[in-house]
Amino acid sequence: MTLHICPPPKDALDRWLKGYPSVVNNYGHLLLEQDCDCDDALIADLVGYFESAHADARAFFHEQMGIDLHPDANAEGVHTTYPTCLPSITRRGLFGEVMAGMLTEHYVYIGGHDWKIPVFLFRYHEDAEAYLFALVRDEKRKREVYGRRGSDFLALALNEAGEVIRFIAGEAKWRKKLQPAVVAELMYGKKKKNPDTDELEHDGKGIWYQVNRDIAAPHGLRQLQRLLREIDPEGYSAAIAALDRVLVVKGAQQLPRTNLIMISGGDVSSREATHSLIPWDEVPKDYMAPHDLQVVELILTDGDDVIDGVYDALWSA
Amino acid sequence: MPAHDPLRLEIANSARVGLALENELSANQARAYVRCLQVGWQVDTIGWNRADSEGQLTDARSLLQAAEIFAEIEGHDAPRAIDCYRRAGEILEWLARSNDGTKTLAPIELLAGAAFQLGGLPAMASGLLGQLDLEEDGPSLFAAFLKADFDEVLTLAMTFWKQHPDLTVADASRRILEEEQDDRLAWYFTVELVRALGLFADSVRRGDDARLAKASAKLKALDAMAVRTFSDDVSLLISLLRQVGSRFADASIYRSARALGELNVERMPRMLAFARDQFARGRGILWSSQRAGLNRLFDNSSFALCTPTGSGKTLVANLGLVKELLLRDHGEVVPLALYLVPSRALAGEVEAKLTAELGRDLIITGLYGGADWGITDYWLNADRPTVLIATVEKADALMRYLAPLLLSRLRLLIVDEAHQVLPEDTESGRSAFADHSSRALRLESFVARLLTQAPDIVRIALTAVAGGAAGPVARWMEGQANAQAIGMRYRSTRQVIGVLETAPQRRCKMLLELMNGRPLYVQGRDDPVYLNLTTPPMPQLPASMRSSLNRFNQVTVLWTALSLTAANLRILISLAQEPEQTMGWYVQAFALPAWQQLPAFQPPEGRRGELFAEARAACVDYCGPDSYEVKLLDRGIATSHGQMPQRLRRLIVALIDEKICPITVATATLTEGVNLPFDIIFVTSLKRSAYDNVRQRPIITPFTPAEFRNLAGRAGRPGATKGMEGLTLVALPTSIATTANGQKQTQRDQMAVLQEDYDALRENLRRDELAGDATLSPLSMLLQELREKARAYFGHVTDEAFLDWLDQVQAEDVSDEAGTGATDGFSRLADTVDELDAFVMTALEELSLLDDGLDGAAAEAKLASLWQKTFTVAAAAQEAWLEQAIVRRGRAIVETIYPDAEERRRLYQYGLSPHVGRRFEAIAPSIAAQLAAATDYGTESAAERLARFAALGELLKDDRGFGFRVRDTVTDQNILENWTDVLGWWMRGPGAAVPDADGLRARQRFVADNLEFRLGVALGAVVAQKWTAGAGDPLAVPSLAEWRATTGLPWFGFWARELLRWGTLDPFVAFALAQGRAKTREEAEGMRADFEEWLAGEVDDPAAEDLIDPQRFLAWEKSLPVRERERAEPVPEQAELTGTTGGRKLYNVLPISGDEEVLWVDAAGYELARSVDEFGLYDASDIAHDYVLEAEGRATVRRVFARSRRR
Repeated sequence: MTLHICPPPKDALDRWLKGYPSVVNNYGHLLLEQDCDCDDALIADLVGYFESAHADARAFFHEQMGIDLHPDANAEGVHTTYPTCLPSITRRGLFGEVMAGMLTEHYVYIGGHDWKIPVFLFRYHEDAEAYLFALVRDEKRKREVYGRRGSDFLALALNEAGEVIRFIAGEAKWRKKLQPAVVAELMYGKKKKNPDTDELEHDGKGIWYQVNRDIAAPHGLRQLQRLLREIDPEGYSAAIAALDRVLVVKGAQQLPRTNLIMISGGDVSSREATHSLIPWDEVPKDYMAPHDLQVVELILTDGDDVIDGVYDALWSA
Repeated sequence: MPAHDPLRLEIANSARVGLALENELSANQARAYVRCLQVGWQVDTIGWNRADSEGQLTDARSLLQAAEIFAEIEGHDAPRAIDCYRRAGEILEWLARSNDGTKTLAPIELLAGAAFQLGGLPAMASGLLGQLDLEEDGPSLFAAFLKADFDEVLTLAMTFWKQHPDLTVADASRRILEEEQDDRLAWYFTVELVRALGLFADSVRRGDDARLAKASAKLKALDAMAVRTFSDDVSLLISLLRQVGSRFADASIYRSARALGELNVERMPRMLAFARDQFARGRGILWSSQRAGLNRLFDNSSFALCTPTGSGKTLVANLGLVKELLLRDHGEVVPLALYLVPSRALAGEVEAKLTAELGRDLIITGLYGGADWGITDYWLNADRPTVLIATVEKADALMRYLAPLLLSRLRLLIVDEAHQVLPEDTESGRSAFADHSSRALRLESFVARLLTQAPDIVRIALTAVAGGAAGPVARWMEGQANAQAIGMRYRSTRQVIGVLETAPQRRCKMLLELMNGRPLYVQGRDDPVYLNLTTPPMPQLPASMRSSLNRFNQVTVLWTALSLTAANLRILISLAQEPEQTMGWYVQAFALPAWQQLPAFQPPEGRRGELFAEARAACVDYCGPDSYEVKLLDRGIATSHGQMPQRLRRLIVALIDEKICPITVATATLTEGVNLPFDIIFVTSLKRSAYDNVRQRPIITPFTPAEFRNLAGRAGRPGATKGMEGLTLVALPTSIATTANGQKQTQRDQMAVLQEDYDALRENLRRDELAGDATLSPLSMLLQELREKARAYFGHVTDEAFLDWLDQVQAEDVSDEAGTGATDGFSRLADTVDELDAFVMTALEELSLLDDGLDGAAAEAKLASLWQKTFTVAAAAQEAWLEQAIVRRGRAIVETIYPDAEERRRLYQYGLSPHVGRRFEAIAPSIAAQLAAATDYGTESAAERLARFAALGELLKDDRGFGFRVRDTVTDQNILENWTDVLGWWMRGPGAAVPDADGLRARQRFVADNLEFRLGVALGAVVAQKWTAGAGDPLAVPSLAEWRATTGLPWFGFWARELLRWGTLDPFVAFALAQGRAKTREEAEGMRADFEEWLAGEVDDPAAEDLIDPQRFLAWEKSLPVRERERAEPVPEQAELTGTTGGRKLYNVLPISGDEEVLWVDAAGYELARSVDEFGLYDASDIAHDYVLEAEGRATVRRVFARSRRR
């Protein structure tokens, strides 16, 4: 149980990425394009941050997987090392989430707040939570998973007294190739056949839907608070109390919120350099929520190399 | 402490105050609750939308968070945490029961169950989770865990492993992690969770702490993983499962069992087996009130445990018995415990329960037989520790007979329902002293005497919460002025009290007015909370049935009850008095043409069917085939009242307990302390009335709050009933029933009175709920009654004047009719003086049994020490003159009123109040002579036998003190005049007429009051004295072998009382019924021939006494084939190791049946061994047992615990 304490690798980020920030009203947009090839030096610069982000989860995974309930199991043997053992697809999801944290801590977003991620929550394959209820591993046997999906990403802004004054929550997605159709699906949901018109239409359950309808205290806030209570109750005492107010008090004054949408992935030829996937010069018409919105587009040319390079290097020393 | 913790507490408290104050519902909560009831009853619901449900869900989440804050900072037992958990549980429960789809938003029923557990309401958790229809396997598994139903957890887990054999190999979990699948973590988590829950369940019920710790560690780790990776609700659920598991581990009965076992390590295996058996009975996890009680038990002190019925008090009492009787070293003495219960019916229930759990270790005997000791009293000279279960009356009689013997062995006193020591502060409560019928006084007197003589015995009192009894009872039991009762803050169920509104040709409406003693209302609305029933209105009754509003009201209640049974609800119609009248009305209603459409009652089949048939046969036997009782039973309606023969009452209780009869019609005697499952209780009257012929006025006795609360407490035991709450509804007509002009005003007046009675009750209940410690005690009330009368009749105003009067007053000086049951004021005063003398003299005699002389000074000293042990002192009700009155009266008794020590001893042994006893002495020799003369009873004809009883009864017939007593009504006077007809019918004499249904109960009353009780007491008194006179040695142990020689009486003297009790002239019939050999008197009579045939083989030409010799009966019974016993322990199975190295030598395993083989699986889901099961002997029911795999040498599997088949 450790907090995430490693600062973002400033120099590496400045070397690796070229940024195009903009602000319109309460809307901030940041396009980040890859500016140099991925090399061992870059990987080495990123590893520290990634290890810090995964340290807490790693400790717990090891503790939990170390407990083998077979009666003959003797010493607590660790079967496997987290997160290097994770399947490729899972790594990519995690990469998006950690990068969201790194960029949020490093770049200036809308409102100019100083964001902090005390501990990273990671979500895996939420649909598979249904297994817990069916006690069967059957992805086809669809079940309505309880509606409270967690945000992919959560960070806090604290004042000098350590109180939470604002939080930023949102979605962080990685896609291998960011073609317009892929981005559209991310933003508007998967395509399904409309029984009336017989045509394929987005189901409306994409990022816009998530961001627009999320409730005042986003899910995940309770879990984040619980981790703070367990890991550093003294250090985060003020933040913990502030979050209690949000979680307990009926009709409490809401914590100010910023929404984050981070799209990351591989560049495609259809996109021209310095051109964003989501319009930057006006508040997107699909955005309905009253809160500040920050969009980050991280466009990489050799993203897979970065991901596998970083994840293979974690705790390898 | 973190700097902001005070702020966190403040935040949490704001939620508690706004949403979770005990017994205070916000407007929306009240609406949510009403709505859930309406949905359950399938009636129209109040306006409600999805946002309302979501709002409630949000509140529940807030409260769970608030509860966590309190628990984290103040500890998980913090009262404020409990408040929040409980209300969160309730809100979620109401949402779950409303079935509105909220459960698709969150697993609300599981969260509710967990919240109830963490809020210390395990019965509510089980009640809710037990009634929900959980479709999926996961929630079923979690629910079983949250209910602490570990057998079920293991059954579900083993089903899972049977379906997933690939997961039962040693490295199955690791292989999941090594897959290249994105969903592998979720699947891994699922599998590991099933492993952890299964291992937890198996280890906690076996008491295997090492494996339990492993399962707990795994649950903790899974929780840590879930909070980081799963969605909010799923992680919340896992976290709650982990917390509940941790409470379970802390509250396992094994902890207590081991701690107790330390007192006597030889008994440790027995203690562990006891603990395991409690798990098999679903009681292995102790409730907080139980833990508090057990902590006190370890501290070696006496205490009062104060929780409602059905909250697990029994377990504390049981462990008290184990500790004092089995674990302590008492040297040569074979220890004895006395377990006082308020009714004979409860004695039966306690005996059955205790026998099931401790029958192997202790002799457990319920003393509710007729004789002061009898055929079943083998405990007297047995060498095993013994528990005597008795009413205070019975215990008192036994003490007069065997005090030195009992006191020398007694080590533990348990007083169940100890709040019954509080006297009824009513006119009838006060007149009970003159009638010598105050149970409260008898309890105070008995216990005070016992504590004076045996101050070192351990005392445990079990008592109800409200009414202010807890504090004084605790002080009384502990003998400490600062004693506190333990376990106050617990309710096993939700109690709702309200009204059933009845009106001709309209549907009934239910008003719900009090919940857990506090008003239930919806803020901002004038209407009370109500449910409109959808039951069709009752067809209009014929005018003759409507001419009585009461009749209309009661029949409407029956109509409503009948339609509610279709919804599988169990209903009690509780009557204040005259049950025979209501029963007759009901039989007549069933005969109406419009009622013929009602579905017929179908008696169940199988074992329950046999029970029904047995009860029906007993009903025909004792009530007659045309009785109301039989007719109603055939409609599925059980009836019970205080005058029913004991055997029939016990069978009727069994019918209700087994839920065979959906409707019960009964007076309050049914429910005194007995646990029976009802969903709804309808109350048809809130008072009893009688007519005082002397004073020419009615005596009205309203229900006391305690009485009503006791009644209401029978409704809605979670788990036993369908709903989560017990409803007690007072039936009130809202319009008159008659259409005849002449009757209208009368009925309007009656309607108003019923409403007033109800309003008064509600107010009394409200006040009672808030009441502080009670200060009234029976003894102080008796003395105050005397003082009040001395002032009124003789003008004695000051303390000294009263005490001077009391120094010299004699009952016969106050009234010539003293001791004759006369009801004028002076006679009542005389009888009240006699009651005080009974208290004082009984104490003096019992405290000087082994002394030679007793003078006035010694008497004062003894009474002064007794005074300190009275409830009166504990209730802090004493004023100086009270103690003075007792002490000085004692001196007066010894010096002037009853100066003859021999006489005092005889009067003490009769058990009557002394003045009545003196009068009884006049006829005692005649009774003795008649008993002594009955040497040929064994061979006499039925007519001759009956004549003996008639002659004995004639001695009592004309006396109203110790003799027969009936009410001052024409019917009862008639019965008294012709009492030998009743005797003939009751004893199954030749040619006796069976009473008609209408007249049955008056005769039953005569039998119970006069034949069983008064004649029985008189016979018992004479026989007891004969014994004592003959025995000489006060420590002599009665035995059948010496009984005749000691008493100088023939066996008739032994049997007479038993014969009156069973209603037979043949001692063999009484024997066969008492031993459970026969179910009816007829059947028992049929067995007589077998006995006589056997006897002929034993004795040539048996004499009259041989034919009724109880020793012969016992010998005959011994010669019968032994009843079938439990299946013997199975031999160990040879096994082949398949999934273990065998390195640990011993493994806990459970069976999974396979194809002609059985797989032995660790509860975490790992197959360890297999053995052949050619005949398919194993199935899922065997998961309830414990097995051990012994891997050393040739591997075998052995069953180490078997759950008994009937739980």
